[in-house]
Amino acid sequence: MSNDGLTRRSFLKVAGAGAATVAFPTVLLSCGQSTTTPPSTSGKPKPGSISMFISKDTAHPQEQAQLLDMIKQKFESQFHGSTFTYDTYASADEELTKLETAAAARQGPDIFEFGSTLVPTAYATNAFEVITNDLWDRVGGKKIFFAPQLTMSGPSPDKLIAIPETANPFAFLYNKKLFQDAGISRTPTTWNEFIETAKALTNPAAGQWGVAMAPADGFDPWHKIWLFGIQKGVDLMDKTGKKGLLDSEGVVTACAFWLDWMAKFKIASRQNATFKGADETKAFATGKIGMSVMTGPGGIVSFDKSPVAGQYAYTTGPTVPYGMSSMPSAGKPAQGFVSGQYLTIFKYSKNKDLAMELIKIIVTPEIQYQFFNLRKQQPVVLETFNKYAELKQTPWDAFYQAELKAYPTPFFGSWGQLEVVLGQAINKMAAQVGVSGSYNMDDLRTALKQANQQLQASINS
Amino acid sequence: MIGNRSETEATAAVVGLRVAAPRRGRGAALRAPFGLMVPSLALLTVVVFIPMAFALYISLTGLNQYTIGDWLHAPFVGVRHYVDGLAPNGPLTGSLLNSVKASLLFSLLTTAAITPIGVGAALLFNGPLRGRALLRAIMLLPYIIPTFVNAILWRLVFMNGSGVADQILAALHLGSRETFWLIGPNALWALVIADVWAAWPFVYLMALAALQTIPDELYDAATIDGAGRTRAFWNVTLPLIRPTLGLALVLSTINHFNNFTLPFVMFGTSPPEQVNVLPLNIYVNSFITFNFGLGAAMSVVALVVMLTPAVVYLRAARVGDTD
Repeated sequence: MSNDGLTRRSFLKVAGAGAATVAFPTVLLSCGQSTTTPPSTSGKPKPGSISMFISKDTAHPQEQAQLLDMIKQKFESQFHGSTFTYDTYASADEELTKLETAAAARQGPDIFEFGSTLVPTAYATNAFEVITNDLWDRVGGKKIFFAPQLTMSGPSPDKLIAIPETANPFAFLYNKKLFQDAGISRTPTTWNEFIETAKALTNPAAGQWGVAMAPADGFDPWHKIWLFGIQKGVDLMDKTGKKGLLDSEGVVTACAFWLDWMAKFKIASRQNATFKGADETKAFATGKIGMSVMTGPGGIVSFDKSPVAGQYAYTTGPTVPYGMSSMPSAGKPAQGFVSGQYLTIFKYSKNKDLAMELIKIIVTPEIQYQFFNLRKQQPVVLETFNKYAELKQTPWDAFYQAELKAYPTPFFGSWGQLEVVLGQAINKMAAQVGVSGSYNMDDLRTALKQANQQLQASINS
Repeated sequence: MIGNRSETEATAAVVGLRVAAPRRGRGAALRAPFGLMVPSLALLTVVVFIPMAFALYISLTGLNQYTIGDWLHAPFVGVRHYVDGLAPNGPLTGSLLNSVKASLLFSLLTTAAITPIGVGAALLFNGPLRGRALLRAIMLLPYIIPTFVNAILWRLVFMNGSGVADQILAALHLGSRETFWLIGPNALWALVIADVWAAWPFVYLMALAALQTIPDELYDAATIDGAGRTRAFWNVTLPLIRPTLGLALVLSTINHFNNFTLPFVMFGTSPPEQVNVLPLNIYVNSFITFNFGLGAAMSVVALVVMLTPAVVYLRAARVGDTD
């Protein structure tokens, strides 16, 4: 039957094809059109606008703005006609989303600031400039930095993408007054001693606990399990990064030891099952917690305004695994992992030379000191420690010592997946402890086995 | 029909008349509705169909952190993600099925709870009442509060030990101060309660709108026939609001199933398994662990799961059609 009117089917064909014709080029044009040119190794860069994406310092927002303003003034006065702007992210989710969007669209800020454990993921996206030796020389060379920090800059010395900005070392935090009240004269050096000390400090009737923990946190579980593991020589992934080891007996034991703080040893309140990192800090600030393991300097400001002011101190924590009297041969005396903030140059930036110049300003000892002075962050440029003596005074001396015993986490792009699945397994088991007061070892093994399967599926995909 | 010819053509042939060609005006009139649909269809294509096709394509690729920079060339892995997530012994089967179960439970329980509350409130505020306009506005407050604010409020309510929920339960000797609402089995109930509070005004609004279309004469007639209020509700009110109510419940179920903000803010990205709903699982896989291929495959599974109520919805939406 002939019909010169438009049939429903032909209409759909025409409309669909038309819309696709319009949409596809638009979508495709927005992706993959950028080109990359490495930054030059000499010469004064042309004026331009530099944008930076950085984490928000929620503990010191005004001080952060003050510091950035200082950097801006230095930069703009040194490079007339150039401007510096920044945007902040307040959560890891935001940080990841920005990274994904920028990598897929090949458009984004000139400089990204990442936390150390996200650097491997950033490296995997291949969206960031490799810092060659010539480029390192432009900021003063690798030698100016605190050496451990460079271990998280890239997978190998010739493939570094991230320039250290600040360090976030982990130390052992304790309440001096509670120790004194309990007649304890020194902090534990083995995990056996730690348990005994914590028991002596615990008095549930008074709401006082030996230790606080944050198993509901997104990061704390893997921090602790990694620490217990590395001290014992237990890896969470194999050396190739192709095989997850979360269901190994070593990891099961490490998880059990941590959960036992609530379940078996009763040195941490069951309430801790719902704790995230901030809750742990808040609990310590009440003055009713004896110790906090693997703690950064972020709490200092709030502690100094809390009931625990003048009563707390940082030191190095236990290193001998639980149930052992000395370090096993494969173990490492780790205090924490190499942690901190890093600056990376976006491969598709059109202002890479200027970006290098901005980073050069950020790593000058004067600005590095301001990170410490204003934001209580530890610098990473060695000269800063020589110039400013207070960086090695109490309580920062403990962080300096702890940083010397920081070990890098494996530099694999799938490390992020490991953090999530291990966190989920621990959250689940901590919930069991919170609700019932104990946990089932078989359930722990099953949870870790499932976590490892998820990790493996992710690695294989 | 005679052969390929229409009845008109056949009749014309019998009586020896020439069939007139269709008039230009009539053809234009036939084309007009399609022409009017072009803008919306083009928009739908760009906003819905093309992304959906991309999602389907991505679900068949190994798009992850290594390939996102050149995502159009991500390796093709076929149905591996679907096998991983749906095969009886697949490495992700437990996680995916748990999320489907959590989402279904959450959406069905919430819908079951908001139905009587919404209808009851609609019946109450449909009749004469002093300050009715003001009360009707107040009723809408939970619905218009942004979901993330609602989530934060309920997170505070359910905080262990210090939360209002535990305080009240302990004061009334109905529970302990350590009920643990935000972890473990109670997490599902915490999520349902928070969502019921936020979502019941939707059913209330729809039911109220339907109630206002029922003529008073029907109730007068029912009264004359000796029906009491209960009988009138079951025999007059409910049958007449049922089409609108059905639609509201289907839409509500779909909305709850797809609710991401509430569980995300209440429990974060490492939620208890009882509230690891599908949207949250998809988000974690796609945007936290960079496994976009798997995330897209999970989205396709979610789409298939939601097709059931969607079909019910489409059937419900046709209620009243005369075709």
